[in-house]
Amino acid sequence: MTQQLATPDVTVITGAGGWLGTGLVAAFLSDDHEYQRAGRLRLLVRDPADAVTLNAASDRVEVVVGDISRADTALDLFRGLHDVDSVDVIHTAGIIHPNKMADFDAVNHQGTEHILRAAENAGIRRMVHVSSNSPFGTNADVTDTFGHDEPFHPYFGYGRSKMDAELRVHDAVDRGLNVVMVRPPWFYGPHQPARQTTFFTLVRTGRFPVLGGGNQRRSMVFIDNLIEGIVRAELTPTAPGLGWWIADERAYTVSEIVETVGCALTAEGYDVKANRLKLPNVVGDIAERVDAFFQRIDKYNQQFHVLGEMNKTIAVDISAAQRDLGYSPDVSLSDGMRRSIQWCREQGIEL
Amino acid sequence: MRAPSTLSTPMARFADALLSVDLPALPVAPRRQTVSFIDERVQTMPSVPRFGVKAIGVGVDVLSRLFGVDRVISLVTKLPIPLLAEYPRLIRSLAFAYIWETWPATQTDGAQ
Amino acid sequence: MTATNEWTATNECEVLIIGSGAGGATTAAILAEAGHDVLIIEEGPWVDQGEVVPFSLEQMDRQYRSGGVTVALGIPSIAYTEGRCAGGGTEVNSGLYRRPPEQAIARWQRDYAIDDFDAGDLLSICEEVEEQLTVQTVPGEHTRASEILRDGAAALGWQHDESPRWMSYPEGGRAVDGQRQSMTRTYLPRAFAAGARMLTEHRLDRLVMSGGAATSAQLSATATGVDQPTTITFKSVFVCGGAIQTPAILQRAGLRHRVGRTLAVHPTVKLAARFDENVNTPDDVPVFQVKEFAPGISFGGSASHPGLVALSLTDNWREFGAAVTAWPELAIYYAAITSQGRGWVQAIPGVRDPIVTYRLTKRDRALLGQGLARLALLMLEAGADEVYPSFKHAPLVRNRADLAKMTAAFAATRASVMTVHLCSTAPMGENHKRTATNSFGKVHGASNVWVNDAALLPDAPGVNPQASVMAIAIRNARRFADERAG
Repeated sequence: MTQQLATPDVTVITGAGGWLGTGLVAAFLSDDHEYQRAGRLRLLVRDPADAVTLNAASDRVEVVVGDISRADTALDLFRGLHDVDSVDVIHTAGIIHPNKMADFDAVNHQGTEHILRAAENAGIRRMVHVSSNSPFGTNADVTDTFGHDEPFHPYFGYGRSKMDAELRVHDAVDRGLNVVMVRPPWFYGPHQPARQTTFFTLVRTGRFPVLGGGNQRRSMVFIDNLIEGIVRAELTPTAPGLGWWIADERAYTVSEIVETVGCALTAEGYDVKANRLKLPNVVGDIAERVDAFFQRIDKYNQQFHVLGEMNKTIAVDISAAQRDLGYSPDVSLSDGMRRSIQWCREQGIEL
Repeated sequence: MRAPSTLSTPMARFADALLSVDLPALPVAPRRQTVSFIDERVQTMPSVPRFGVKAIGVGVDVLSRLFGVDRVISLVTKLPIPLLAEYPRLIRSLAFAYIWETWPATQTDGAQ
Repeated sequence: MTATNEWTATNECEVLIIGSGAGGATTAAILAEAGHDVLIIEEGPWVDQGEVVPFSLEQMDRQYRSGGVTVALGIPSIAYTEGRCAGGGTEVNSGLYRRPPEQAIARWQRDYAIDDFDAGDLLSICEEVEEQLTVQTVPGEHTRASEILRDGAAALGWQHDESPRWMSYPEGGRAVDGQRQSMTRTYLPRAFAAGARMLTEHRLDRLVMSGGAATSAQLSATATGVDQPTTITFKSVFVCGGAIQTPAILQRAGLRHRVGRTLAVHPTVKLAARFDENVNTPDDVPVFQVKEFAPGISFGGSASHPGLVALSLTDNWREFGAAVTAWPELAIYYAAITSQGRGWVQAIPGVRDPIVTYRLTKRDRALLGQGLARLALLMLEAGADEVYPSFKHAPLVRNRADLAKMTAAFAATRASVMTVHLCSTAPMGENHKRTATNSFGKVHGASNVWVNDAALLPDAPGVNPQASVMAIAIRNARRFADERAG
């Protein structure tokens, strides 16, 4: 394992108000987290309310409020940073379930391009771009697994925008920027958004739709594992332009996921009904077509999109991250789910 | 040298027309030799596919006489009807394999 | 004694063998060497290696059934090829040799209840075959087209290896110097040396059955000018016509249980790739195969002479046709999958050839697309300037962004899907619900009819199947001989 870089003087984080961003900031600022770091944090958020919370968290934090789809937001974000010795960037800002289709390109593609350009101008040290499995589609067979280098096969609007972002990253590498990518699949953990809560509720009430026998495999990543992956990608001095799957040790079948979540809920004291909602595979195919239809007419429907993905296999192989970065995901699905559930309870969220 | 086809079968007529559209610079003699090869190969196809090809061939031939072969070529090559779409594909596959094996220096438009 | 196409001797034998390919030739050699009176009937002609250019239209005319124009109907239809000559498919295939995978052996044994079906025994028969056919890797220089596949896989870190071939080479010989050790050069001469007789250019029209036993075979001559139908009587008959003819023969004889219902193939799609140097070796097929995604997907190279290059570009001739004049810079590669779907072979009364159909499942169609896209990526990593995928409306692929266009445009129903491996139309084993023959190829419901070719394999093994066919055929023939010895 090559010697890791020292943590930078300034860490720029986009999307600091989001799920992943919140977790990263908490880890960096903490007194006892494995990935705590000294130095300043320059954070980009969209919502002024998040700015207030983050500013209050520490005096090492500087917050910029802005919409990443605007080029001037990136300029503001990097202002004054090119005199700093070492600046790293972790780009998590993105939109997964938008109000309108045009947001995909504006935020995920153009937003990334703005950050890349501003980062280049500021002479940053290294950047980690948070990509996704979506540019690569789904696995055609339940036993197939995505390796570290796969052809693009974007899954709808989100996939196309994330693919375009990766292409911009490659362009920036060609121009000399030291930027790498991590590709997390379905992630879960504390600070999760409302749709994850819905997921827990469906499992608890026995109504999670298990399509076609539940053998399709899904890779998932607990947020702490993802944070580890991001930090390792940032601080391990590899060549630029590489990308790594960052996920739990192995993919899980959908049946296994539902069962594990059920057990985790029970262990946390919830009353869980046995899952009764088993639907034929074709339901997923129909939902996928409806999703496609909505996206084509420029309306986005989250439920159909998620249901359309439910009969798919999306499984990734982390061996490149293990080999190149020393990535070693510690948190099991069961533990991760219990910690998520605990967090929900602490926040007073009803499951 | 293979004897050129006399275009006596429906499929030969269609193949000749299709090839003159696909490969406009292919001279008549090699084109007719190619059609003769295609005809011969189709005769040795297994029973059911051969019957299917001939049936489609007759149908396409009738339509060509009614509406002109160019229009029919256009239709048959564009319509995504499963077995019908395989008719021009079969002809092209046999033709192109034959032409470039026999005359490897042939140009993209059929010029020799 | 060599083969003849004129019938002069007596109309009887002890063991009649229909077909002289990987199954029939090995059966003949084993049984003749065990002292049986063997007669082989072969529908096609005897063509020596070297008489015709490999993969040429002339070869297809003389040594393939129907000039190579055979198709399994479906959406999409799948083009396939059958050898029809002395030595069968072994005379015309790529020569690549792969042992039956242990996973496949275990699966067949378990799911079909095959008795005495031990991987160790089969693999030791494979060792014999490897010696007999001088199976080996290329001693000397590889072709460029071969190296490209290896280099692209290496650049991506994808598992790949050189498949040995049953070829002999001069000292330090290059890939193109390989001499194919097909059945006409190995097991057939062995069979003749042990007294077997062979009648070529005669087709089996019918096996005549009486009281659950086959009593005679009615043949007709296939060469022009030889007109006499012939009847042969025998004690036992081995049907080794291959996965398409064998079930048709059995069905016509009234032996129908689980026959022709489970055809399994390796559906394959192709692309052509263009480089900035000459890479095309018209008569040779690359020896490297990529197994990173096996058994679901494998990649390899295909014959690429100019006619085949033109053929691969036909699906999008308007955009790709210009590349044909640069054919020395192009080579053709394939992505093959193991198929969830299955097909049917059905003899139709009064009609010469059976109808063959095949159904690809949604997963099969998607896997073909994913396979072809990964192969295209490999080509880019190997340095290809342009990649021409063989499907209608395929975009030209020059870089990774173009791969997204390719995957979006792919549909198996618009692709030229083909296969050269056909199996499983008379599966073997004791599980009567799934099998047509017992554990040693004896057809259920008949007292003296055996199958001993690729039809026995319970599914397509995910690798070139010739070695599997031969190992099983030798195993079964030995059992037949042992049961009758002493």
